[in-house]
Amino acid sequence: MMVFTSSLFSRFLPAFLSGMSVNFEIAGIALVLGLAFGFLLALARFRGGIVGSASSLVVGLMRAAPTFVVMFFLLNALPRVGLSGVMIVAVSLVPYAAAFVADSGVDALRQWHAGSHLACLLVLPNIARAFFVLVMSSSAGAAIGVPEGIAILLREAQKLPSIGDMLILFVIGIVCFSVPLQAGFAAVRLLQRHLGRVALRHRPEPLPESSPLPAR
Amino acid sequence: MRRLVWILALCLIGAAPFSARADSSPDAALARLLDEARATAAAPGACTRPDRDQLISILCAGHLRVGVRDDYPLFGTRSGDTWQGYEIDVARAVAQRLGVAVDFTKVKPATRIPMLADNTIDLVIATMADNTQRESQARFIRPHYYQSQTVIVGPRDLSIKDDDVRGQTICVTIGNGSNAELVSRGARLMLFDDSTMLTEHLADQACMLAAQDDTFFAYYLNNPDFGGRFTEKFGFAEAPWGMGVALDHTDLLARALGLTSQIFNRDGVFLAAAKANHVGTRFLRQQQEVWSRPECNTDTGGTNPACVLPPSNPDLAATPFANGVVEFEAMVSRLTGIELTLPMLTIAPAWSLFLSGVVNSLLLIAGALVATLAFALLFGAAMAARPRLLRWTARGMTIALQSSPILLTLVIAASIIHVLLPYSSVLVLSAAIIALGLTNGANAGQAIAEAYWTLQDERGAAPSRQFELFLRALSRSATQIVAFLINAAKGTPIASFIGAPELLSALTDITSFSSGRATTYTLLLVFYTVVVIAVIWLCRRFQTFLERGGVLA
Repeated sequence: MMVFTSSLFSRFLPAFLSGMSVNFEIAGIALVLGLAFGFLLALARFRGGIVGSASSLVVGLMRAAPTFVVMFFLLNALPRVGLSGVMIVAVSLVPYAAAFVADSGVDALRQWHAGSHLACLLVLPNIARAFFVLVMSSSAGAAIGVPEGIAILLREAQKLPSIGDMLILFVIGIVCFSVPLQAGFAAVRLLQRHLGRVALRHRPEPLPESSPLPAR
Repeated sequence: MRRLVWILALCLIGAAPFSARADSSPDAALARLLDEARATAAAPGACTRPDRDQLISILCAGHLRVGVRDDYPLFGTRSGDTWQGYEIDVARAVAQRLGVAVDFTKVKPATRIPMLADNTIDLVIATMADNTQRESQARFIRPHYYQSQTVIVGPRDLSIKDDDVRGQTICVTIGNGSNAELVSRGARLMLFDDSTMLTEHLADQACMLAAQDDTFFAYYLNNPDFGGRFTEKFGFAEAPWGMGVALDHTDLLARALGLTSQIFNRDGVFLAAAKANHVGTRFLRQQQEVWSRPECNTDTGGTNPACVLPPSNPDLAATPFANGVVEFEAMVSRLTGIELTLPMLTIAPAWSLFLSGVVNSLLLIAGALVATLAFALLFGAAMAARPRLLRWTARGMTIALQSSPILLTLVIAASIIHVLLPYSSVLVLSAAIIALGLTNGANAGQAIAEAYWTLQDERGAAPSRQFELFLRALSRSATQIVAFLINAAKGTPIASFIGAPELLSALTDITSFSSGRATTYTLLLVFYTVVVIAVIWLCRRFQTFLERGGVLA
């Protein structure tokens, strides 16, 4: 049984939390880029016509491209771009983020166009939820040596002598990830309920079905 | 008197074999060869004859032009006008034995053979492995002056039992000939362009293990800071290093250098230079023993297979259709200007890896879809069940799975399964299927349960109608179920992280020992995107089936 001495905590936990901040950094960059591209794609799809069809095709491809494969593609097929590890992971998440923003954005634009401005605001909790999915997905960076939370956790685990010790460490990692994640999802649910109530007060017609939890 | 003549004759006959034995030593053969060459060089017009041997040119010039590395610590470095390192000392000793001065010229791996061919240099002593691929480009001097091997370097507190690296991630440089062996040992490779990145990433712990020539790591491991943290775990893939000369007009030069190399191995000249420069001496000690043996210490020892090492053979077998693929690559290049390289279709081991990668990827996707659906039903049923204990257990597991990044869930599943059963590809694929199924199935199951409870609130249901209500919940949560099925299919390439032999893993292995990285990863992206589009199409049909209440029929 591993003894979790104070030195382990004083050494491992700060490194792990610092790694987790990299996960949030990656997710933040991916979301900003995803919002920019996704909003443009949503506008194009909303306008319809050839541009709308082209936009739908692009969104379809972006939705289908697996993040992990995109990351290796950026790393190996475009080596001269000179992106850092953090940026490679962030950019690899952009197709997912942009496709999600485009899908949610079209719904929001339709609501706005129909005059339901508050219903349109329901896009905000969905985007917040997507951010947390991006945080979790950014752990893919461990596969290319980015010093994010899971990479630091696995590095520490590799030095432990038994599976029991490793599992204890993994549980600590899951707990550390679950605190901001579950708090974030709870905040999203509260925001969604609040907006829903406000929207119902102002517009009696039924709200659109909430979007499913986005695919990682 | 007659008696005396007979005694003298007998003495001469008896001494003849000893005299012949002395004449067949490499020292005598070298001395004779150099004497004859000097005499030839001194003859009028010999130094301007177009077909003169390179040895004559060297003796005429009085200089030996040697191509050496200036960026390879311990072997060849330059500081201002000062050259130092093991290979520099070897070059100086060779020039001294030939009786000429030495001129150093900086070479790189890409330029060392062309510079021999265009007569810019006479000799290369520049970390060049003697292998069958290079035999058609340069004449290697045997016996060899060094032998490198690939070593695995990692933290001192990390133990590797029985050289077993299955499932371990090892940082390597692209194109290193030993990568194929690491792949065959079941290691996962992380690729880098430049070997200096290996030490950087070992230091910042982005790499837990790194593989590279021992000669490269020797310098860093001699550094107290680096050497205090990291150590060699084990070595493999030995490659002898040879001096090289041009293919043409070098018969005499190659013979002289071969004999010199024999003598230097036997007398410990190479060994002393290695010690002075702090490079490994294990190989040179072995060679000193070999070249001191009577059967090797002769002027023909350099051609005796029992004494001299053969070149290493890094050639990989070609596929039966490699020629057709090469023609196709050339045609694409001609028509479009795009440099298309398809190593997975031209190299036999790569083709085998590619085929198994495609099959395993499709199996993995199918398995992940089935597991997601099965776990979704299981979690959905548990979270919709009456007993609180069952409900809360399923809910707790769902929260834990939602809070664990998929990469971590995969590692946990693989670690647990490895403890229970011995490592195998099927086992890793199974672990990946279970992890992907659990993560996505738990989320989909939560959606099913939420739909179930909303239906329960709306309609109420007698205990006898709970199954029908559950089927209706499946129909209501069809969008969510399909979203997580698609998610599971998209997540399958992540399984490569735990060593699942799917396509991403296979192509990473292929590119580690071949060229065509850009083409390979582009094809990989196209493959997965097309497969996921197909999965989306199938899932949408499944969604329609669920929404129409197909399960209720």
